[in-house]
Amino acid sequence: MSNSHLFLPSGFIRTPLQNGLGRYIPQLQRITLKFCKSHGGSRGVRDFIESDLMEFAKTNPGTVVYLKPRRHRSPCMVAEYLNGEREYLSCHEFSRDEVYKWLSYMCTRSGIPVMRFRKYQHTDYPTIQGVWNPFTHQAPEINVAEFPHEVLSKPNDQGPTATEQLIEIFKKTQMEDPANKPPN
Amino acid sequence: MAALWKTCHQCLRYGFSNASIYTSITAVNVISKRNFKAHWVAPTLRELQRRKVIEEDRNGGPKIFHRSTFLEWNYDAEIFAFSNRLGEKFNDSSLRAALTHKSYIERETARLSDIGVESNLQFHDNEALAKKGGEIMSKFINGYLRAVFTQVPEELIRAMHDFLTSNATLETVAKHIGLGDLMLCADFPCKTETYVKSFKAVVAALAESSGEERARIFVQDLVVTQLYGQDVNELWNPVDPVGNLTAILKREGKAEPEFRLIRQAGSNSILAVYYVGVYSDKNFISEGAGESLEVAKEMAAREALKKLFHTEDSMRALPFGRQLKNIQSRIAQLENQPNVPLSEWISQKVMSAVH
Repeated sequence: MSNSHLFLPSGFIRTPLQNGLGRYIPQLQRITLKFCKSHGGSRGVRDFIESDLMEFAKTNPGTVVYLKPRRHRSPCMVAEYLNGEREYLSCHEFSRDEVYKWLSYMCTRSGIPVMRFRKYQHTDYPTIQGVWNPFTHQAPEINVAEFPHEVLSKPNDQGPTATEQLIEIFKKTQMEDPANKPPN
Repeated sequence: MAALWKTCHQCLRYGFSNASIYTSITAVNVISKRNFKAHWVAPTLRELQRRKVIEEDRNGGPKIFHRSTFLEWNYDAEIFAFSNRLGEKFNDSSLRAALTHKSYIERETARLSDIGVESNLQFHDNEALAKKGGEIMSKFINGYLRAVFTQVPEELIRAMHDFLTSNATLETVAKHIGLGDLMLCADFPCKTETYVKSFKAVVAALAESSGEERARIFVQDLVVTQLYGQDVNELWNPVDPVGNLTAILKREGKAEPEFRLIRQAGSNSILAVYYVGVYSDKNFISEGAGESLEVAKEMAAREALKKLFHTEDSMRALPFGRQLKNIQSRIAQLENQPNVPLSEWISQKVMSAVH
């Protein structure tokens, strides 16, 4: 595997507060859009605010949207999640579509930091029938068996040996021999 | 040159999320990009961080500010979002009362009287709501537990209820639905009791606003789901499982439990393991393993009781959410009917139950 994920923490997939088990609660608590009213780098953010922001706010009524015009500063968005985490993203020179894309990305996150998932599934109940141990499926007869035992001492998946197979074939040929049939 | 810089900047926009070396203790996660900073930036930031660490060590931790001290804060919008986030409708006055604590009202009136302003604040505190909320929450939890764990004695129901209504569990739930920023209280950072009181008051406010049915579903979705992943046998175990098993079998008219050694390994070593099986009239009930014969016997008796109560490791998954639609009436019915206690437990008494 590559080394590029060495600094990225890794973990198992999880969700805060068993979200989705009972009901789904959107985890984005509030989002703050900071932008400049005149600088060119905030143009995309300004266009987004003028056109798509109302629709976004209506479709996500559980998220509070704050707009913070800041002079002479590049635009950014800060997302705050229900578990207390914050995500900062610079929106400098983003287009209107990019702002929308990253904003909807923020909506899909829970506050759990980005990490490399070790597995894409998680269960709290890894076994239902019980973990195998050497005593599983063992015949109870071994408790009172005297070893060496006729059946239990042999490997249980051993088929007939070559000698036994030859004997079987010979017996079959013996039966088919017409000379051995009693004359009618 | 400028074109090259812009191309580099754009094609590295999807850069890997390294943790910045200048993270503060309140970890703000940065979706970072490549940046070209002047030569003096890094040393300056390093020095500032060094001084900040010294200052924080002296003060015993970083400075924390309540979210309402920020410029971007709108309490009405936050309350609106809170109810929409949960998908519930609240009466505005009930919800605000549920989030207001007595300590806050006292502090505000004291502050205003210090200034000299006559205060006729129309605040209602959440004492009554919290008490009522605690009662109805217990009721809903008990109803669910008795409807789902039909074969289980009342002692285990009580243990599960105590776990679900414990301060730790309720504080976690309260924090994760966003109550931390909405509560009006004098203490900051807010104490556990404050969170728990607010949550209970919110449940009562919901019952007042949308009816008991919605409040029941709310408690099931948020509080009872905390039981998921928790082994219920860790919450409660009978003190004398062998005695209890003997008593139960005697009450049912079955033969006395007979314990037999069925497997053993390594009896002379530290890692000895003994499997003991419980038989009643030569019928196998269960087996248990342990590092000594006594432990194995007790484990076998515990397994037998788990089998009787249907709380083995292989028990049915707990129903949540939409799976509860058909048994809501049953849950409501069982809120006031305790399960059979352990001292009177027999299979016949619990056989008629559903699930």
